[in-house]
Amino acid sequence: MADFGISAGQFVAVVWDKSSSVEALKDLVDKLQELTGNEGRVSVENINQLVQSAHKESSFDIILSGVIPGSTTLHNAEILAEMARILRPGGCLFLKEPVETATVNSSKVKTAPKLCSTLTLSGLVEVKELQRESLSPEEIQSVQEHLGYHSNSLLSVQITGKKPNFEVGSSSQLKLSVAKKSSGKPAVDPAAVKLWTLSANDMEDESVDLIDSDELLDPEDLKKPDPASLRAASCGEGKKRKACKNCTCGLAEELEKEKSRDQMSSQPKSACGNCYLGDAFRCASCPYLGMPAFRPGEKVLLSNSGLHDA
Amino acid sequence: MQGSLGRASMPSPRLLVLFGSQTGTAQDVSERLGREARRRRLGCRVQALDSYPVVNLINEPLVIFVCATTGQGDPPDNMKNFWRFIFRRSLPAASLCHMDFAVLGLGDSSYARFNFVAKKLYRRLLQLGGSALLPVCLGDDQHELGPDATIDPWLHNLWEKVLGPQPVPLDPPGVPWPSKFTLQFLQEAPRTCSEELRVARTDPQGPPSELQPVLAPMVTNRRVTGPSHFQDVRLIEFDVAGSGLSFAAGDVVLIQPENAASHIRQFCQVLGLEPDQHFTLQPQEPDVPCPKQLPQPCSVRCLVSQYLDITSVPRRSFFELLACLSPHEREREKLLEFSSAQGHEELHSYCTRPRRTILEVLCDFPHTAGAIPPDYLLDLIPPIRPRAFSVASSQLAHPSRLQILVAVVQYQTCLKEPRRGLCSSWLASLDPGQGPVRVPLWVQPGGLTFPQMPDIPVIMVGPGTGVAPFRAAIQERVARGQTENILFFGCRRRDQDFYWEAEWKELEKQGCLTLVTAFSREQEQKVYVQHRLRELGPLVWELLDRQGAHFYLAGNAKYMPADVSDALMSIIQEEGGLSGPDAAAYLARLQRTLRFQMETWA
Repeated sequence: MADFGISAGQFVAVVWDKSSSVEALKDLVDKLQELTGNEGRVSVENINQLVQSAHKESSFDIILSGVIPGSTTLHNAEILAEMARILRPGGCLFLKEPVETATVNSSKVKTAPKLCSTLTLSGLVEVKELQRESLSPEEIQSVQEHLGYHSNSLLSVQITGKKPNFEVGSSSQLKLSVAKKSSGKPAVDPAAVKLWTLSANDMEDESVDLIDSDELLDPEDLKKPDPASLRAASCGEGKKRKACKNCTCGLAEELEKEKSRDQMSSQPKSACGNCYLGDAFRCASCPYLGMPAFRPGEKVLLSNSGLHDA
Repeated sequence: MQGSLGRASMPSPRLLVLFGSQTGTAQDVSERLGREARRRRLGCRVQALDSYPVVNLINEPLVIFVCATTGQGDPPDNMKNFWRFIFRRSLPAASLCHMDFAVLGLGDSSYARFNFVAKKLYRRLLQLGGSALLPVCLGDDQHELGPDATIDPWLHNLWEKVLGPQPVPLDPPGVPWPSKFTLQFLQEAPRTCSEELRVARTDPQGPPSELQPVLAPMVTNRRVTGPSHFQDVRLIEFDVAGSGLSFAAGDVVLIQPENAASHIRQFCQVLGLEPDQHFTLQPQEPDVPCPKQLPQPCSVRCLVSQYLDITSVPRRSFFELLACLSPHEREREKLLEFSSAQGHEELHSYCTRPRRTILEVLCDFPHTAGAIPPDYLLDLIPPIRPRAFSVASSQLAHPSRLQILVAVVQYQTCLKEPRRGLCSSWLASLDPGQGPVRVPLWVQPGGLTFPQMPDIPVIMVGPGTGVAPFRAAIQERVARGQTENILFFGCRRRDQDFYWEAEWKELEKQGCLTLVTAFSREQEQKVYVQHRLRELGPLVWELLDRQGAHFYLAGNAKYMPADVSDALMSIIQEEGGLSGPDAAAYLARLQRTLRFQMETWA
């Protein structure tokens, strides 16, 4: 028997129709009762009686329909909606139904996608096809017998659906910070909407009177920003000299020493391993700064003028 | 519908980002906003203001406006329609009561009307009933670390306001966002591939525009500054006969430049691209159009020479995307550092301050460059923008000619290779004496309009290359018999950069022009146009106040406009006997009635 995730204390409904064998039904119910224990309950319902029974809404955790071996139960929208109603929020439905796989427009037997959409339209979510299997000869005969339908391209498909996590008619507050504001906002006056729309549909009109946009500005707007505010935060203290990641020219060590000593060591040699990579990777004291990248070992002449700061 | 709310996804306010961008910076910031929103599970749409159906704006709950200010405090081209709409007097005061908004502005505080577009929009949205989430962000090019210095903390506050305090979401390491286009390479060059790389004008009926430029033949390209002068300035003349171009003094001509052959070669080499290979461009998103300037199919050479701006300075998003595409550990680590918030200063001193170009950066990261998928080229590299020049000749004087004055931009930063202006260097490299040269161009109205009435005097202050639009104006006015023209011209030395000296002398003889010169370096102390202006205070006042003269100013944006305005203010006060505030009001009135106009450039 497939695992329906049934645990103790749950209320399970098993729905059957005339295609289901009585022995198999009893068998299933016994097994289910074992699982649900004393706290839970297993109810049995004929599919044609389901709507009339008018079970209390949200009274079942799990509904199994057409899962009895040998069943060829068909589910219509009305039945599925009823099942959705009596399932509690978050409850699961497992059903098994024969479906048509050929692209034939049958009013009796649905295709698998049609079946899934019927479940969705009935109000179930997370509709998933669990498995497909071919029908046994007895089942094919059963379809012919009970449904009056014959086809060679039928499959039995097992589908599950869930009832969404709320009851019809329930409500909860949505945490929309913007929505909170706009819910406190007035709706736009229909007369204003009309005027706006009229105006917007007449964009080409050059003769329309415009207000003087300069009048909108106050003296504060006309002031230029304070030059001090245009400086970078760290400017004025002198730019930090950064060493390369894998500095071989000694700058990294030198920066370390500067922390503890006042005296500066002598200028680092230009034999840093990263000079050829380009300005993005060069250290702050690299004499090749400002020049493009070159191949390692390539001879690059630094002209005298090049050594001056721009 | 029952069960439709099943999946418990995070509630997502719908965010709309609308931008007005002239050079692409505001668009870049907007796309960054979009990525940050998506990382925080916010549904987000990013659109140019003029592409958005403004009729829907009343229904939008949350909108971020990203607006650059360009020209003389003007909105960028792709929000001009929106700008005219939003200031309509007829719009009801409570139209936008449903909207929470924020405004991010991009500007340059060396201009007088710093971030005016963002400031005005902010005020107008409040006036129309919108609620501001934050004060307006004033991104400033003049900040040491650029506009990001202001934008980064402001964005941080924005997300807090919209989502509540949250930890910054962890990015999945190195996953690049999907490219806008795919490049389908062709096995063989298409048969219809012509020598002429430029897309020919298919609609000669309509006026020339960015998508249908005129390929104007260059007639002459002459250096007009002395050989020992520090700057190379060219007087360039185009033949526009039969082009359909129509322009007046005060208009600007837009020129679409190309990359230099050496840069094209270097770029293709570093990326491992074959210049003669052809491809077709396919958009990945349904509503993203292919750039119309590119022919289909296109060659790599055409893409790199005419479309990709490989000598522009990359923005942070370039490093961010490049890091995702990098297969090389050391290079990727450095690219990630540059694109991080903490690495902002490093990025600035490596790239932004020295004006390092995309091509130079790629040469510094060769392993990454060699691995860039061609599909990402248009995401990484922005398109070349056209450059504007004041028209320097009048169609009335020279019907089939168009002249411009171009100062070739070249300066030094800490990089050994000097920085060069793309358009000015390209124009300077063209020699019509060597063979036919054709340049894609079109015209647009500029910021200056000159009076039609015959007796109105015109005072023009145009030092340096600022004199170019006034040369056109004077030619035009003289051709129409308007002879009341006063030109204040300043330059360094009369024998070095005294543009059109002979022409002015001739017009003076004919009585059509009064020329006042200031040669700054010919004496011990600096003499500028504003000094000359003050010296002739009584005359200026007479013309302005008694004869209804128009006053014009053109040239460098940095100090000259403020200095000249100050001189004018003191003339109004001294000659007119007005107090400080009254003089300011007088000048403001002149501006409002278009009797005081400025066209300045940085």
